[in-house]
Amino acid sequence: MSQRYSSFEPKGTRWLLQRLTAAFLVVVLAFHFMLLHFVNHAADVTFAGTQMRMQTAGYFVTMVAFGLTATFHGVNGVYNALVNQGIDGTAKAVVKYGLVLAGLLLAVQIVRLSLVMAGISL
Amino acid sequence: MSTGITKPEEEEETESQAVGAARAAGESAYGQARMDESEIDAANEASQRRARRAVEDADRTVELKVFRYDPEVPEKEEPRFDSFTVPFAKGMTVLDALMWARDHYDSSLTFRHSCRQAVCGSDALFVDGKQRLGCKTQVADLADEGIPGEVRIEPLPHAEVVKDLVVDMEHFYDQMESVEPYFQDEDTPDGLNEQRQSRENREKIKMSTRCIWCGACMSSCNIAAGNNEYLGPAAINKAYRFAMDEREGEDLTEHRLNIIEQEHGVWRCQTQFSCTEVCPKDIPLTEHIQALKREAVKKNLKFW
Amino acid sequence: MSQSYDRGLVEDFGRWTEFSAGMWAWIFHKFTGWVLVGYLFTHIAVLSTAMSGPEVYTSTLQGLESLLIVRFLEVGLLAVAVFHILNGVRLLLVDLGIGLESQDRSFYASLILTGAIVVASVPTFLAGAV
Repeated sequence: MSQRYSSFEPKGTRWLLQRLTAAFLVVVLAFHFMLLHFVNHAADVTFAGTQMRMQTAGYFVTMVAFGLTATFHGVNGVYNALVNQGIDGTAKAVVKYGLVLAGLLLAVQIVRLSLVMAGISL
Repeated sequence: MSTGITKPEEEEETESQAVGAARAAGESAYGQARMDESEIDAANEASQRRARRAVEDADRTVELKVFRYDPEVPEKEEPRFDSFTVPFAKGMTVLDALMWARDHYDSSLTFRHSCRQAVCGSDALFVDGKQRLGCKTQVADLADEGIPGEVRIEPLPHAEVVKDLVVDMEHFYDQMESVEPYFQDEDTPDGLNEQRQSRENREKIKMSTRCIWCGACMSSCNIAAGNNEYLGPAAINKAYRFAMDEREGEDLTEHRLNIIEQEHGVWRCQTQFSCTEVCPKDIPLTEHIQALKREAVKKNLKFW
Repeated sequence: MSQSYDRGLVEDFGRWTEFSAGMWAWIFHKFTGWVLVGYLFTHIAVLSTAMSGPEVYTSTLQGLESLLIVRFLEVGLLAVAVFHILNGVRLLLVDLGIGLESQDRSFYASLILTGAIVVASVPTFLAGAV
């Protein structure tokens, strides 16, 4: 999570990214709920319907971005919550790399899944 | 602010002066090191009699429940609450009530106070579940109407208690010092020239200069409670006071931003607004912390 | 700040009745955040059934949706998400230094709005399952 860029201070970077992803997620999460609970009922979801939506380029890109920003926002949020609790030393390092790993796995899975849903095989 | 209650306080002063004089007389004039037991008992009894009479004569009284703890006295090693009945007088502050209790019931009741007008910042206390200045809190304001039946007074939470209502402020002062709360510019005008500040800039930092180092904000902060490395609201506000002052040179402002943008600097603030709510000087602490977060981000983006 | 003895309920969450609006907003935001990040992982896991084939995906989702408990959990999820969104907007404004004086009112507003949206959505969420 805190990759070191030359002079780009990591602590403030994560703070800023958390806000930027938040602003994006507010819009997309609301859209996601509207689309899959009100426009289409969740109970009526089928693979065909999902595939139809995911084959629209704009929707596909939005959903992948949605998944990835949500992953960052969520995992970074958990890390912040734990740092605020005052963890440090080994515990902090374990949590940090554990969360980085979990976040990366989830991100990879989101991309793979999106490709399957859109019927794109690489 | 402590209003110096007119009549009862005068009596009280003279009474305690009389006791003091008696003590001084006992110690020096008669060449004795201390008052002997019977004299102490007599003085205590007289004091208690006076307290009883004052309470009986009072139209209204208020019950103080005061936290007591003293690791050096066996009877007070276990923290407990003591109750003191204090005659209420119009304009009485929590500090006035505490002083009355100390002077009439138990001279070992310990709390810090000095100026009694919300300037020295000595008497931040946890009164009825909130950090307040004893001298700035009217007893009457603690009840929805009339006067409160009971006022609970405790030392500031999240700080080590030294004795009764006195907490160890060392950590707080360390955090304050760590932001280097002073001008250190070499670049001041020569001779008799003034170093001017624009009115707008003065307005911008005005509230932040009001801090009296009472520690109420730090005590109220949930993050500072669990994390000793966090600078805390007061220290960040101090940094704001100088970083936003146009008279401070750019290099120093950057140095200051480097201090507050560390991991346990501004980023730990979770905008719970607890500090802003308890600040006895009404400093918009959260606003200042947020402004510094934005400054730090802007500074870093410039390099990018 | 270490303590030479335990002041117990004097500190921390034993004092929850004395918490102010900003503190409650933080607690709720943190709680809903934990729920949402937990849901994110679960959600992706469930949708990953698509990798085992279209039929598995469709039957898994429709099987879950036919359970009444899942419908209620979804209403709960909506409540959690809506609050996190609305309070998140409030926090973004706070970060921008906008409306800090009315931060308590904006918290109450997000609570009330969340309640209203959730109540209004209950019929849609339970349709077909009750």
